[in-house]
Amino acid sequence: MPDLNIVTICGSLRKNSYNAALIKLLPSVAPDSFNFTPAPPFDGIPHYNSDLQNEKGFPAEVTAWADAIRAADGIIIASPEYNWTIPGTLKNAIDWVSRMKDQPFKGKPVALQSASIALLGGSRMQYHLRQCLVSIDALVMGRPEVIVTFAPTKFDDKTLELKDQPTLDVIRQQLAAFEPFVRKISGK
Amino acid sequence: MPNVITICGSLRKGSFNRMLEKALPSLAPAGMTVSPAPSFADFPLYNADIQNEKGFPAPVTALADAIRAADGVIFVTPEYNFSLPGGLKNALDWVSRLKDQPFVGKPIAIQSASPGPVGGARMQYDLRKMMVFLDALTMNKPEIFVSNCVSKFDDKTRELTDQTTRDFVKQQLENFAAFIARHGKK
Repeated sequence: MPDLNIVTICGSLRKNSYNAALIKLLPSVAPDSFNFTPAPPFDGIPHYNSDLQNEKGFPAEVTAWADAIRAADGIIIASPEYNWTIPGTLKNAIDWVSRMKDQPFKGKPVALQSASIALLGGSRMQYHLRQCLVSIDALVMGRPEVIVTFAPTKFDDKTLELKDQPTLDVIRQQLAAFEPFVRKISGK
Repeated sequence: MPNVITICGSLRKGSFNRMLEKALPSLAPAGMTVSPAPSFADFPLYNADIQNEKGFPAPVTALADAIRAADGVIFVTPEYNFSLPGGLKNALDWVSRLKDQPFVGKPIAIQSASPGPVGGARMQYDLRKMMVFLDALTMNKPEIFVSNCVSKFDDKTRELTDQTTRDFVKQQLENFAAFIARHGKK
């Protein structure tokens, strides 16, 4: 019976994102206890500006995103690397929720994944994201890491299905390790 | 109550990080014992040939055993050239090669003191990255960066005199006791 609510956050907004494709395949390799919920999209969130926050409060899109994170037992972020770091859109969403009183990431178990077309698979982004997550006091799992290099060779051109068996295996291993990590922290 | 060991990244006698390390037992919450780990000063430079021919040197095994026996580990280390001191990195490289790798699942806290304004922060984020590789559990907050450290220790007695720093360190140790209780191996 699925009893763990795992919220997924995709750092890319484009339709044919390899990272969105990663998130899509998670249920097929996850423990039975995981029930995946995609976080609400953050593409409607305005650029962070504390004047906006002070004048009008938190935008509805920010509140919705934060509520989804609060309701999660665990969070999986799959994100591309833009210019060697976190996509600005994702960082902007984190900047908004970090200002909330009941800061939603605090104490949440998090696992990271990234896919990229090149050699390093988004690893530089992952280490910047880990640093941001220290600031908002999330608990990021160590290993195994999921770093999908040369993504176009690993996903089907047309269906965007992941066809690379070693990659599927490491994702399965990460999710299997994430289950006890989530249970220990959430007490569920 | 937790038994915590400290690993100081500096070997020099007059080290500010050593002074910080020495202040910890008096700032620790009741029941937490804090003691220095065996030194890595005598570790040879890591070379897989040594490991294959003679096995692990005794000082490496001693440090690894101390880490395994501890409920938590606190690194107190300077930043050299924007990163970890090579001596400390060499020690971690040795320990990482042991079969029963001692850092797996181990609660970690980090502190650094430096004479400059950034207080060793760049080193801390490199060290956090290594702790990911070793699969340790590094506590997030509060972070301890003792910047401009020369003014925060007594010239003669070498005691940590800056009250704000003492309060932060005390808070970190309290949080670390709770972190160990929650996430450490039972």
